[in-house]
Amino acid sequence: MTDVGRHPRIKLMTLSEVENISGYIGNFRVKVRQKARYVDENECTACNECTDICPVIKPDEYQMGFSIRKAIYMPFPQAVPSSFVINMDECLGNNPIACGKCLEKCDKKCIDFDMQDEIVELNVGTIIVATGMDAYDPTELDEYGYTRFENVVTSLEFERLICVGGPTDGHFVRPSDGKTPKRIGFIQCVGSRAYKRGHPYCSNVCCMNTIKDSLLLKEHYPDTELSVFYIDIRAFGKGFEDLFNRSKKSGVRYIRGLPEHIDEDPDTGNLLLKVENTTAGCIEEFELDMVVLSVGLESRQDGDQLRHLLALSQTSDGFLAECHPKLMPVDAPTRGVFLAGCVEAPKDIKDSVTQAGAAAARAGAVLSANKVKLEAAVAVVDKEMCTCCEVCVRVCPYGAITANRKQKIPAEVTEAMCRGCGTCAAECQFGAISIRHFDDEQYMAQTEAALEENPQDKVIVFACNWCSYAASDLTGTSRVQYPPDARIIRTMCSGRVDEKFVLQAFKLGAPIVLVSGCHFADCHYIDANRWTQRRMDRLWSRLERLGIRPERLQLEWMSAAEGNRFAQVMTEIEEMRKQVTREEIEETRKILEEYESRKKSKA
Amino acid sequence: MAKQAKLKCLRCGYEYTAPPSESAELEERTCPRCRSNSVRKIQEEKKGDN
Repeated sequence: MTDVGRHPRIKLMTLSEVENISGYIGNFRVKVRQKARYVDENECTACNECTDICPVIKPDEYQMGFSIRKAIYMPFPQAVPSSFVINMDECLGNNPIACGKCLEKCDKKCIDFDMQDEIVELNVGTIIVATGMDAYDPTELDEYGYTRFENVVTSLEFERLICVGGPTDGHFVRPSDGKTPKRIGFIQCVGSRAYKRGHPYCSNVCCMNTIKDSLLLKEHYPDTELSVFYIDIRAFGKGFEDLFNRSKKSGVRYIRGLPEHIDEDPDTGNLLLKVENTTAGCIEEFELDMVVLSVGLESRQDGDQLRHLLALSQTSDGFLAECHPKLMPVDAPTRGVFLAGCVEAPKDIKDSVTQAGAAAARAGAVLSANKVKLEAAVAVVDKEMCTCCEVCVRVCPYGAITANRKQKIPAEVTEAMCRGCGTCAAECQFGAISIRHFDDEQYMAQTEAALEENPQDKVIVFACNWCSYAASDLTGTSRVQYPPDARIIRTMCSGRVDEKFVLQAFKLGAPIVLVSGCHFADCHYIDANRWTQRRMDRLWSRLERLGIRPERLQLEWMSAAEGNRFAQVMTEIEEMRKQVTREEIEETRKILEEYESRKKSKA
Repeated sequence: MAKQAKLKCLRCGYEYTAPPSESAELEERTCPRCRSNSVRKIQEEKKGDN
């Protein structure tokens, strides 16, 4: 951090908040609110005299509330810049000055109660998002008694208690009586791998953190009895298994099973717990001086604003989604934005550093190139046909389209931001938007060609380029058999599948139409496939109103690796196709012809 | 109290209800019986509808 602060080409802005981001790759404009510190960071020598005299006492957040700080304080040792800051919500003396003791005490006259927030505008070429994560709050797990029993602490609180720079200067004591605990239990997977309370995913770092802590304790307090209660120990990194074995050899007891609940002995403050040891097949009882809850990691609670500003998507676990898990693991779906660290998924220091290095290299490559290659397949607006309704603005996952309904300004596409998913073209009711190289006429022609002969024997499949189209390829290369009646039409995204493509396929005699796209978490266009789902809901209702069975329009989410699933889906759909009679197809054709002529006469 | 969503699988015909969820938009609809994603939200019939 100190190196970063001193680097001549890095501008470090602490105590700052991003308020707005506009623009696109190579040309982002970022508005940052630099909050008032009320202390001149260039003049402050961190002499401590102000903090000594400050009468306000508050829990120190950095020390997890185990020690106190003043209203004027250094956020943590070795903070960069090495300067104090005043929390004005806590300070007694701003306006009117009721205290002002620090002001009088500071010889360097660094304190300025009139300091104001500053808005800084930056022009940047690329952005790396590295906003980290939150730790799971185990208060909701009432059975473990966190916050009810003083000696039940989280792994983060434990870190402060054992740290040399911590509230006890590294003398490890338990909170209730200040005595050094002799029997300590670690409970793993608190808030992780839990479906009802907590999160269903593995938080990645907790096992190794506990193993590290156990070795640290054994090194400094060899007589301590340590028990680790776990579901599985996941020690899969380089040297991690070795560390696990060292921990076991040092005398740490690993018990496979999680305690149901914890009780406290009110006289001693000791903790009583009962565990089913599933390895030994017996119930064991423990009396411990202290219990450490190995809490999992979760996405930041305040991360939504930045996510919306950068048009980023999140996976169902709340972390930010990368552009592609294998091929572009540090790129965000928005071009020119990169991800590093736990903002993308829970990861340890080594993985975070690796990803940060990769993100910096990716960002550097963009900046040094001076030019950006754009995809040719982007949205094009016919301004004559545009009614300025702003639907395209709302559905564009990248915020690449601007329009103004009140001022009658037609839609305009920023090509550097457009990725060509085609959702805008599919949602535009006026046919004002087309996708270069993937326009409506091309799709109509493909559908027509596919259904030219014996349409009653065909299944039209609109397959997303990145997933189901690749899955169908995989089915073929894997020599997996599926019915030969599928006619696959490739779209860049399922979001491109316009209602009129589906209706035209039915009009031309298709018994079944399948629309398939990526799993929600894998959408290559942030959340374009959510619009597919909404459109399908609309289409199903419309088909029903018209008197066409909604079952004839099928939807499937799959990944490129699910070749077998593609074959299975096509086999199931083939069975459905056989149930669609020629009479039903003919009836559909008539209904749709009438529907079209009604629409034309209205227009 | 939020209403439960009534859903119908258009592959196997199975009808079921799903608890209201804030993250429903982020989650795929999957039929619990046949694992198909062709799951349609069924509009509740209005009073007086036949």
